[in-house]
Amino acid sequence: MQCEQFEQILEQQDDGALPKPALAHLEACETCRALTADFGAIHDMALELGAEEIAPPERVWISLRNQLEAEGLIHDEQAAPRSASHASRGWWAVFQRPAIAGAFLGLALAAAATVSYLSNSPQTALDSQLTLQQEASSVPSADSVFKEEVLTVGIDSIPELQRQDTAVTNSIRRNLQLVDNLIAICEKSVREQPDNQMAREYLYGAYQQKAELLATAMNRSMTGGLQ
Amino acid sequence: MNATIYLRAASTARTRYLRATSIARTRNAVRIGALGAVMAGFILAASPAHADRIEKHFPVQNKPKITVRNSSGRIQVKAWTKNEVMVAWTNASGKTVVETEQAGNRVEVAARASEGGVSADDSKTDFEITVPVESELNVRTDSGNVTVDSVHGDMTFDTVGANLQLSDVDGYMVVKTIDGSLVCNRCSGKLEANSISGNVQMIEPTLDSVRVQTSSGNIMFDGSFLSRGIYIMKNFSGTIEVHFSSSDSFDVNATSLKGDVINQATFKPDTHGSSHPASKWGHSLFGTMNDGHAKVELSSFSGTIKILKRD
Repeated sequence: MQCEQFEQILEQQDDGALPKPALAHLEACETCRALTADFGAIHDMALELGAEEIAPPERVWISLRNQLEAEGLIHDEQAAPRSASHASRGWWAVFQRPAIAGAFLGLALAAAATVSYLSNSPQTALDSQLTLQQEASSVPSADSVFKEEVLTVGIDSIPELQRQDTAVTNSIRRNLQLVDNLIAICEKSVREQPDNQMAREYLYGAYQQKAELLATAMNRSMTGGLQ
Repeated sequence: MNATIYLRAASTARTRYLRATSIARTRNAVRIGALGAVMAGFILAASPAHADRIEKHFPVQNKPKITVRNSSGRIQVKAWTKNEVMVAWTNASGKTVVETEQAGNRVEVAARASEGGVSADDSKTDFEITVPVESELNVRTDSGNVTVDSVHGDMTFDTVGANLQLSDVDGYMVVKTIDGSLVCNRCSGKLEANSISGNVQMIEPTLDSVRVQTSSGNIMFDGSFLSRGIYIMKNFSGTIEVHFSSSDSFDVNATSLKGDVINQATFKPDTHGSSHPASKWGHSLFGTMNDGHAKVELSSFSGTIKILKRD
């Protein structure tokens, strides 16, 4: 058996034992032994990643929060409790500032990119987990922030847009719902098939589309529809 | 409505006038003609569509860059051989102001509401723009159709729901839309299109680079794959349809994770040395037609991919 044939068998093999000719080749070939060990590590890591919710590293949110606090746009909850309306708008209030909105969306894209990157780099995922254990912070968990502030945000949170052309608002609303559905479907696929690279790529693409759609919605609201 | 009423009134008045003056018809011919001209002028003045049509001309040198910003309404761009950009617009409500600016070869046109609280209908502004054949275009609009004919140059389009039709254009075209559709007739050059729910059709293209992505929309490519061309088409749930002829030369890589891949081509295994082990996820197809001079990548999450023989 040649190495190329062995690689094909290895790739198609799920969790079962390798066939005898492949085992014989494995015993004789150091390169293929190393490859098999790598595949095993990747597979195990993918299962671990898939068992968890997809979320960007905590440090993304820490740096974002630090930046917003430094600019005085958000305050510690104990020092300055939010009003009911403020609380309901959450971090989305910062989107009223175009520059911050841009930064936020940039980070959202970065977060989405990180999700994609993590799927390709188990070692990076391990490193970030180790880093997380060392970082003590009062910020909300990455998962909760990502879910609440990026994935669940809708155009209802952009007051100016409500006064725009109804057809445009409806179009954005309809497509936002569509993208949310795609995200849900992709997340389900990734959970069910953690080593399915294509499903992860689609999930990443859906995150990116959501961020871009929100950017378009904000852009339209800030320019008042007519430019 | 007003125009119709005025037309009827004019017609009635003219008939009565002619009856009353039938005896002296010949002698009064000149006076009738004059009255008709006055009536026609009155009718034209009463028709808002004509009254609000404004036209501006901008002399330019080679390859001007034209930027158009609109909210709602039709935008038609055509080419001519003059070194001049002509911009004409119509706003029926009169509640939109169109600002134009020229700085050398850069011409900018932007429609904006003249007052607050203007409705979408009132903000509707239709543009007719004529540009030199070699021109760059940058169009941003929310709704309404955009058509571009016979312009050669780089173009970007950013729309929400506006449909876009490009015909006989050549250049690097970048299209970003939310749910507007794109129809590209006989387009040449490079095309990048990104939509969420819009359809994309490329009919008789001579494009050497295609990167098209839509989520729930359909993608259709009916043309030749050029030698060394790269064609990437991706969607989530719509149909991807590619038509080929037996003389086409391309490598294909088609994968649908949860949908089907329907193929009418006879491919041979990749002749360029790349191995494509069958994916354990979804349906995949790899192969080469003729010498595989072009590269075609088709990808869908749950949609159907069709590789069909052209009639």
